[in-house]
Amino acid sequence: MSDRLSPLLQLERLEKIYPNGTAALRGVDLAVRGGTVHGLLGANGAGKSTLIRILSGASGATAGQIFWRGEPVSWSRPAQARAAGIATLHQQVPLVGTLSVLENVFLTERGGWRRGRLLAARLRRLMESIGYETDIDAPLATLPIGERQMVGILQALATQATLIVMDEPTASLAAAERRIVHRTIRRLAGEGKAVLLVSHFLDEILALTDEVTVLRDGAAVLTSLTAVLDEPSLAAAIVGRPVRKARARAVADGAAERKIAEIIRLESPGRLAPCSFAVRAGEVLGIAGFLGSGRSELLHAIFGADRRARGEVRLNGKRVGRSPRAAVAAGIALVPEDRRNQALVPEFPVAQNLTLAHLGRFARCGLFVYAGAETAVAEKAIGQLGIKARGAAAPVTELSGGNAQKVSIARWLCGPTRLLLLDEPTAGIDVGAKAEILDLVRDVAAAGVGVVLVSSELGELTAAADRILIMREGAIVAERLAAETDEEELVLLASGAARNPPAAGAEVR
Amino acid sequence: MPAQLRRALSLREAGVYYALLLLVLALAGVCGALGRPSYLSAINLINILYQASPVALMGVAMTVVLITGNFDLSVASVAALAAAVQIGAVDAVGFWPALLLALAAAGAVGLLNGVMVQLVGINAFIVTLGTLTAIRGLVLIVTGGRSLMVQTPAALTAMTSFESGRAGPFPYPILYMAAFTSLVWGVLHFTTVGRRTYAVGGNAEAARLCGISVSAYRIGAFVLSGLAAGFAGVLYASRFGAMNPTALQGEELTVIAAAILGGTSLFGGAGSVLKTVAGALVLYTLTNGFNILNLGANYQGLIEGTVLIAAAAIYTLGGRQAISSRRPPAPLLLGGSPPANPVDPARSA
Repeated sequence: MSDRLSPLLQLERLEKIYPNGTAALRGVDLAVRGGTVHGLLGANGAGKSTLIRILSGASGATAGQIFWRGEPVSWSRPAQARAAGIATLHQQVPLVGTLSVLENVFLTERGGWRRGRLLAARLRRLMESIGYETDIDAPLATLPIGERQMVGILQALATQATLIVMDEPTASLAAAERRIVHRTIRRLAGEGKAVLLVSHFLDEILALTDEVTVLRDGAAVLTSLTAVLDEPSLAAAIVGRPVRKARARAVADGAAERKIAEIIRLESPGRLAPCSFAVRAGEVLGIAGFLGSGRSELLHAIFGADRRARGEVRLNGKRVGRSPRAAVAAGIALVPEDRRNQALVPEFPVAQNLTLAHLGRFARCGLFVYAGAETAVAEKAIGQLGIKARGAAAPVTELSGGNAQKVSIARWLCGPTRLLLLDEPTAGIDVGAKAEILDLVRDVAAAGVGVVLVSSELGELTAAADRILIMREGAIVAERLAAETDEEELVLLASGAARNPPAAGAEVR
Repeated sequence: MPAQLRRALSLREAGVYYALLLLVLALAGVCGALGRPSYLSAINLINILYQASPVALMGVAMTVVLITGNFDLSVASVAALAAAVQIGAVDAVGFWPALLLALAAAGAVGLLNGVMVQLVGINAFIVTLGTLTAIRGLVLIVTGGRSLMVQTPAALTAMTSFESGRAGPFPYPILYMAAFTSLVWGVLHFTTVGRRTYAVGGNAEAARLCGISVSAYRIGAFVLSGLAAGFAGVLYASRFGAMNPTALQGEELTVIAAAILGGTSLFGGAGSVLKTVAGALVLYTLTNGFNILNLGANYQGLIEGTVLIAAAAIYTLGGRQAISSRRPPAPLLLGGSPPANPVDPARSA
């Protein structure tokens, strides 16, 4: 470690203005010191990704200067930044699905010969040092998303960089993997390396970082030592206004309410053990559990999207056919985890994405689409849900994460939805939009719809749900009333640490 | 809305119409300068339309297959099969029953393609490459490698009148093509079926999770493609009252070229049947121009291939430009931070 006071990386008045006049960065100052973890926060569209792209050499700044180890530098290619000692872990890790873990980790390695055994030994040492185990010969595409993220982290570590930029490294990780990432970050800082950490998780930022910079509208609005900050002050800086906490829920007396859906011995071989429970009208039923615990599989099985699933789903007492088509017709709705790949049609404008599931309601004789009705419903949704879009005809690809999510939820409000299944509806969405989405979910429930909410953020579940089912290894292992549990208990139950018998009525039939 | 109008008139959106117009005007100018018979005469223009009709017809159905995100290489072989069935059966059963048999055979191959691709899960390129080869082989077996000819005069009359009859100045094939194109265009643009077809190609998983039967739409597109190819084959058989077993060989590439010239995406979710027809007209205008100018057929392949790649280049570059002027290339929907988001949630909330 040279001088702890002189920054490893310094940005001075960094500016990025796109040819169409959009200013993504308006003069950002940032200093990252060796041996520290620097947090970078900001809402969607605040300029974090642009900053990272410039740092990694993927795009150039239009004004301002980057100093690296005190020297002014300017990179035009990612390889230059890498050679200088900056490794970037992008949010969507650019890895090759058909190659093995080993080959992916050393993808950027130079030299003509592939010294497989040497590299394998290096990788094993690396994994050992961070306490992570995986099959290094497995093709990447066969691994679950969390492990792929870990491979990306290994790749960044393998370059032996002095500054590691991590863009939301834990967003898709389960708690155990998340802990490994946290430990790795601390270890890197301990070795005198610097980490620039982008995250939406405020607790993570507070726990891990030494300094924090908050971006808003392309400018650094807050730079401070982490020690003097807390979650509310960070959230306020990100949003630019005091954050409205998600509305506290009036705890409904669940027992008196009508059962809207019954799930009877629903199972899927190898993925889901037989599950039985009921969802009541107006209730938000939370599903807690770590990545791979079968949460998404349960939702897909209920929706009929899992062909191998067996068992019965009853809606208002009537048996629902085992296909998405039958489920939609009966009034079951699924908001999938991956907005871009599973929910939205990129070629369609907002209005057409909204009406896709219940298109027949916007057509004469069920056949001739009435564009006027589509535009009307889209404008209504944009107005009522506060979707920030230029209009009903705006391309859906223009929307930010939170607004795109509102579209994929609103799609199901265009039809007679009675049971709404939500898979991680707030993943990758900034703080302000998260509260809005949760409010929307509660409004939907208040209208008499049964809601099943899967979320990795346990705080969100305890705040938004009435009842919480806890899943582990493809089975429902416990049930708690949201008012009578807390995040800590949920973590213990989901991780299998607490083996106490489930609360009375865990299997409501 | 001027912005919408500007977009509609852009090279990316209307390029194939400009190309057609430019080509026709250029050929008209050259013909005029060389003192050849007027290029823009009604007879010549109708002739181009007539020649392009079978390919345009298949191209329209091909566009639907492409919109759903698939690919059909087998159309020319299927057309030849339909022609063989038509000529083989017409003497025995009469014209209309033979037509139905031919279409049934063609539709069955389309169904086979669709089932293999969608239900068995083999790549469309491989499946239709297989049927392209196998069906051509079947045609050779059925015909014994010899040309087939219609024997009974009554059957021949029925066939010629189906193909060579005219409504006013227009030969029937132009009308068949126009009717089919209008129908498919109408279905794609105004009905729920059309909207779902685009959705299936644009994002199959999203379509499935919206309760759309993705397989049914994709198999349906293959069947439509088979039927259109069958109809084109019947037209071919009826034109000559005869067919040889290598008829229409290689025509599938012209059909796909017409769709690509019309700007149809090979990745699905986008495409317009009207532009495909314009694409077919561009190709046949070139052929026709070569004939009129006596340039010889040797240059034809070179020029057509160049035009195809140039068109694809314009679409690709034009598309890229249109995107980059709207927003920088960055991951958009998956969480992340679109750098230049026009609506910033933090600011405008």
